[in-house]
This record gives sequence, C-alpha cells and structure tokens, in this order.
Amino acid sequence: MDRRTQWLRGVLDLCVLGALARGESYGYEIAQRLEAGGLGVIAGGTLYPALLRLERLGLVVADWRTGASGPARKYYRLSDDGAATLRSAGADWAVFVGNVNAIMEVP
Amino acid sequence: MTADDWLAALSAELRRRRIDPAGPVGEAAAHLRDGGQDPLEAFGPPAAYALAVVAGLRDATPRPRGPSGEPRLRATGITKRYGRRTVLNGVDLSVHAGEVVAMIGANGSGKSTMLRICAGLLSPDSGHVRLGGTVGYCPQNGGTSDFLTPDEHFVLVGAGRGVGRTEARARGRSMAAALDWADAPRAGQSRHLSGGTRQKLNLILGRLGDPDVLLLDEPYQGFDNGTYLDFWQQVWHWRDAGKAIVVVTHLLNELDRVDTVLDLTPGRAR
Amino acid sequence: MKKTLVVAEMALREISRRRGVLILLALLPLAFYYSRRGEAYWQSVRFVSLGIGWTLSTAALFAGSAARGIEPRLRIAGYATHQLYLGRLAALWTVGLTLALPYYLLILVDLDGKVRNDAIALILVLTVAVAPPLGLAVAALLPRELEGMLVLLTIVAMQMMLDPEKTAAQALPFWFTREIGTYAVESGAGADHVGRGLAHAGATLVVFLAVVALATTLRLRRRSHISMA
Repeated sequence: MDRRTQWLRGVLDLCVLGALARGESYGYEIAQRLEAGGLGVIAGGTLYPALLRLERLGLVVADWRTGASGPARKYYRLSDDGAATLRSAGADWAVFVGNVNAIMEVP
Repeated sequence: MTADDWLAALSAELRRRRIDPAGPVGEAAAHLRDGGQDPLEAFGPPAAYALAVVAGLRDATPRPRGPSGEPRLRATGITKRYGRRTVLNGVDLSVHAGEVVAMIGANGSGKSTMLRICAGLLSPDSGHVRLGGTVGYCPQNGGTSDFLTPDEHFVLVGAGRGVGRTEARARGRSMAAALDWADAPRAGQSRHLSGGTRQKLNLILGRLGDPDVLLLDEPYQGFDNGTYLDFWQQVWHWRDAGKAIVVVTHLLNELDRVDTVLDLTPGRAR
Repeated sequence: MKKTLVVAEMALREISRRRGVLILLALLPLAFYYSRRGEAYWQSVRFVSLGIGWTLSTAALFAGSAARGIEPRLRIAGYATHQLYLGRLAALWTVGLTLALPYYLLILVDLDGKVRNDAIALILVLTVAVAPPLGLAVAALLPRELEGMLVLLTIVAMQMMLDPEKTAAQALPFWFTREIGTYAVESGAGADHVGRGLAHAGATLVVFLAVVALATTLRLRRRSHISMA
C-alpha cells in the first residue's frame, strides 16, 4: 500500500485534471470519480491542497455556487492551460509507464 | 473529535496564518457532510491540514524587496574579543525601515553579543553603530522585574518613552492579546508567570513606545507553537508598518520570508 | 521629575510586595531595642538606630540588585541614569521614614523624660538618610546579594564592637548615631556632639551618594561607539 501511495503522490494532480476533463465538479464528487476509477479513497487532506495548487497554477478555474439545497459549493473546471497540460503530461506519462514496464519485465 | 470542533480548530489555525478561513473551511465542511467520514481520517489533524492549505496557497516566488533609503541601523566593522577568543570579527549589518534581518549562527557565534552592541549595552573593541531612530531591545530572558505586575511594567517602560499611563497600559494589553495572552491585565506579579508568558512580557516591553528599530534576541523562548506563529505574524505586521527589525534565531523555518539573513558562523560568507 | 516619580512609585510597589523584607524591617530593630533595654537604656537608642540602619540598607541592597535586570532596558526606553537611582532612593527614604516613625514614638513613650526627644528624632532621620545610599552603593559595587549582605553585616558588627572613641570608628557609616546619642542621653553633654555627628552624617551621605551615582552612571553609560543619524 505504501508504494501505491507514493505512486499516487506523483500523479495525483494529473489524475484530478483527468477527472475534470469529464466535466466540472466539486471536491467530494472529484474524490468519488477518482475512487470509481480504481485509485482508492483519496483523503480530503490530500485532495483539497492539490486543488488549491492547481488553481494557483491556473490549470483549473474555480467558482462558488449556491446550491438549490444546502450551502455553497466550490466548483472546479479545467482551464485551457489545464487541458493542454493534461494532454502533454499525459503523453509523457504514457512514455514513462511504457519504459518502466519494459524494465520491470521478467525475461 | 466532532466535525464542528475540527472545523473550528481549522478556522483558528488558518486565521493564525493570516489566511481567510471561509473557503477552505467551507469546502471541508461540505466534504465531511457528503462523505460522513471522521474528520481526522479524511483530513488529518487540523493544524497539519492548515499547513497543507497554506503550502497550496503560498506564492512560491519571494517578493523582491529593495532597501529603501538610509538604513535605520548601520553597524560597520564590529569586532569583539573576550580574552583570546574573537567572537565578532569585522561584522557589518544594515537594516532599513520595513526590513527584517534574521541573524543566525551556531551557539557562541556572537549573535547575542552583536545585538547587545547594536542596542548600546556593550562596547565593541572596534567598529561603529549608527542609529536612525529609537531602539527597542528584547533579550533572551530577564529584562523584567519579579515583583511588578505586567500592567506596572507597561506604565514603567511607557513613562520612559513619554507614553502616559492609560495609553501605555492599553498598548501593552493589546500587544499581549496579539500574542495570545488575553488575561495580562489580571496577571499578578511577574515572578508568578510561566517562563513563556514572562518572555511575552519581555517582548512587549521591547516594543512598547513604538521604536523604529527592534532588536529581538530569540524572544520566543518558551512560546508554545501557536504563540510562536503569532509572534512571526506580528513581525511581518511590524515590517509592514515600516519598522527595522533584527531577529536572532536558531530556527530556520521562517527564513524564506525574511529579507536578509546574516550568518555569524565563523568562516561563512557574510 | 515625572519619570523619577514613576521609578519611585514602582520601587515602592516592589518593596511592599516583599513580605519577608518588610517583616524584617519592622521587627528586627525592635529586637535590637529590647536586647539592651534591660541594662542601660541609652544603649537601646543606639542599638535601635543601628537596627534600622542595617535593615534599611539591606532592603536597599535587595532593591538595587533586583533592579539590575531591568535598568538597561529602562535606559534604552529613555530614562536618564540619575532618574533611576534617585527614584529608587526616594522610595527607600519614604519606607525608612514610615518605619522610623513608630520607633520614634516608642522611644518617646518608653524613655519619656530620660532623653532629648529632638536629638532622638535627628538620629533617626539621619540614619534613614544614610542607610539607602549605603545599601545601593554596596549593590552597585557588588553584583551578588550574598557578598553585599556580608559586607553590611560586617559593617553593623564592627559598628557594635569597635570602641567609638577610636578614630578608626569614624570611618564607619553610622558613627554619628553614637555621637548624637551621647547628647541625647547625657544631660551634661554639650551641643558640639550634635555638630560633629551632623558633619559625619553629612559626609557619609555625600560619599555614598557619589558612589551610587558614579557606579550606576558608569554601568549604564551611553557607549561611545553609537551615534545617532
């Protein structure tokens, strides 16, 4: 499990971008999308700081919306920069994973 | 810990770091409501989460801050020997209004000595100190009177600076509140105060009367973590108000936010 | 003037909170008084004034030592050195006079008719005048209270043991109590005793005040390496 946490730490922000590529969302729902995608439970303590970083870097845009029921929620969506980063970083990641797979193959 | 307690603690921790808590607390509250998890499981301890939020928000690039005008404190060529041991060897120090200098160095590298020389309490063997304004000094310990109450200290030091009684008390008390010491007015003789609280008094007395130059020698001895953070918040606050501040410190966490670092360890570049 | 008064006020507050010192101040001279009361009553007068002199100078020693920690900060805050020691002296003199008054009344009542009341008053006033500068001078010269206490103890012991007729005895700070005391208790004694006593007290006072002023000014002096822009 520890190794997995370390792997996730390296790509969490890209995964968040990926989750938002499917449409805008708010914190808890993003966590659910990631969990449904097989990444396991993402703690709020990890997710929200990552969202703040992405927002600061301009890769996501956020706004508060008052819901019909309940209090206001902060919604996030990909910015143009975010979409571009997701595409290029995603490509780099694919290459990286390919290389790692090749090295780890037992001959 | 209940969610409400956790959220209240988070709010306090964020406020202490001068972050508006509304956004992060609102989001965390919504998350906990949606998921129904235990807050410590979902987010961890409030202080740790607050740190993570700050890290996420903090601007990575330091503000470039040029010196403005004549330095309020300029020490040149300060040399001090104790017998055969040379404690300070030609040290220079310049501090301008609105600038914070951190003075670091190993134990015995002469940090306290340098500060006392700049405060005028000790004579160097050679060198000169030029002051452009009033000075306030806070030693590592001492500087208070066992049998007087904090209020009486405020009046005593205030009178020296020409501040009236009521005004001096008011200023001292408000500074105490900023350092998380709300019941300073009701405190008894200072010999009954805990070490950390007494140091708060020491710090307040150094700052009373609004001196232009502040010389602080590790004034946070005995402070709990919250007060330590409050202290640094006050330092940034005083910097914004145009004070020239020198802080002797061992602890390196705040160094990326000060304007200049002076390292007194022998052999290091100044 | 105002700053000196603030120093004096705070020094008074400090002393009033030191219960042990206050009790000693109040009761030790009483013990001295009654130690000689059985024999020659005139010894009581001398001993009670020595008791007051000793406890008041010890109180001054403690006050002066305790102030060392805060005095540099007060200098930085803008006090002149003379305001610091004059304020402290004013507080100690006030305490001394408050202390001496009940003892004066005690002697008045107890030794009614046997002594010259005005001379007694003079002895007590002069003792109160000399003791604080003595204590502060010792504090200024000796940084630690223990050494200071030993010095004061030695002085008081010598004061009691040395034959007052010897010239050496005049070097002791409270010699004048014996001199004026002679006039107070001996009906045949001339007023020249008073003159000599006053002169001695005056000189002692000046010497100790000078020591306090010089030592404190030296310790808290504005250093030459600092200049104001």
